Amino acid sequence: MDVFDFFKDPAWRKAVVFTAFGKSFWGFAGAAVAFGVLCWLIKGPEEVWAALDEDLGLLVDLMPRVVVALSIAALIWVMMPREKMSALVGTESGMRGLIIATIAGTVTPGGPSSAYALLAAVAVTGADRGALVAYITAWATLGLQRILIWDVPFMGAEFAMLRFAICIPLPIIAGLIARRLPFTLQIKGAET
Amino acid sequence: MSTGLLVLVILLVILAGLAVQQRQDAGPIARRFVEQFAMLVPRMLFALIAAGFIAKLIPKEAIASLLGDDAGLLALPVAVAAGLIVPAGPVIAFAIAAVFAKSGASVPALIAFITSWSIFAAHRILIYEVPLLGASFLRMRIISAMAVPFMAGVIAMIVGLVTAFGQPLLTQ
Repeated sequence: MDVFDFFKDPAWRKAVVFTAFGKSFWGFAGAAVAFGVLCWLIKGPEEVWAALDEDLGLLVDLMPRVVVALSIAALIWVMMPREKMSALVGTESGMRGLIIATIAGTVTPGGPSSAYALLAAVAVTGADRGALVAYITAWATLGLQRILIWDVPFMGAEFAMLRFAICIPLPIIAGLIARRLPFTLQIKGAET
Repeated sequence: MSTGLLVLVILLVILAGLAVQQRQDAGPIARRFVEQFAMLVPRMLFALIAAGFIAKLIPKEAIASLLGDDAGLLALPVAVAAGLIVPAGPVIAFAIAAVFAKSGASVPALIAFITSWSIFAAHRILIYEVPLLGASFLRMRIISAMAVPFMAGVIAMIVGLVTAFGQPLLTQ
């Protein structure tokens, strides 16, 4: 059996085409046409061509970055021991607990479904609230998969790196604030 | 080649070397790449084209005076508020960031906007956070993280005094 067999799987191919050209794709295509027409009517054809010319230059610049960023994201996705990191969230206290939660959030992959599912599972065990907040804040602001897939393609690598570097200490600060809030935390599904 | 792209390429070479050393199967890596490419690129093309037209349509002065360098510290609350009220996924949020960037928003304002959106994205709160963790957790998290996008913006302003590194691609 070949490792590339999934490329021949019709169900997988269909799913990929559906992801690429599903409803949301046509929504964006429609928006592009609608704003193009609006631009033509209000600003005239010259501005429409000028905008498309800028877009073309931008896309030529973007494509190599997209390919490199997505390759890195794919390698990290396969190689990063993210389950090991996630298993540690909430098991340590003090500053160490916040740092572990921040690293775990950073390596937790993309979508909110996996991050929030883990958060909920850890929260019902009565884990430290600082670690919970640090974890989800790190996932949102530092998530490697999110930065490689969204920040780099849209904003460029320099901007993405700057934003990442700036945000590194912030989940820990959010966690420290959470520990000091005078709230009684009631987690859904947790026994009280 | 720009510094940013160069760093990414070096990172890619190192990771690829590690993958070869660990004898990772190329299959899952290729599969993940194709899936992410399909998810991102077609929508991104049209989102950026739409953003290009919107940037022509909206008055640049208005955006620049609220989010540009001249706005000073005022740019941060405006950017954070804008991030709070975007109830949509990443393609729309980053297309809006692209419009801001094209219209003269400063780097700290863009960082505050994206950080604010990534922490408070309303759709994510409604679909995942409240059902899975409840309102009590949401309240605690919002209050704890409220200052984060502001801090990101302020740090970006301080960094901006020292270096111009980090300009978005769109404004170069």
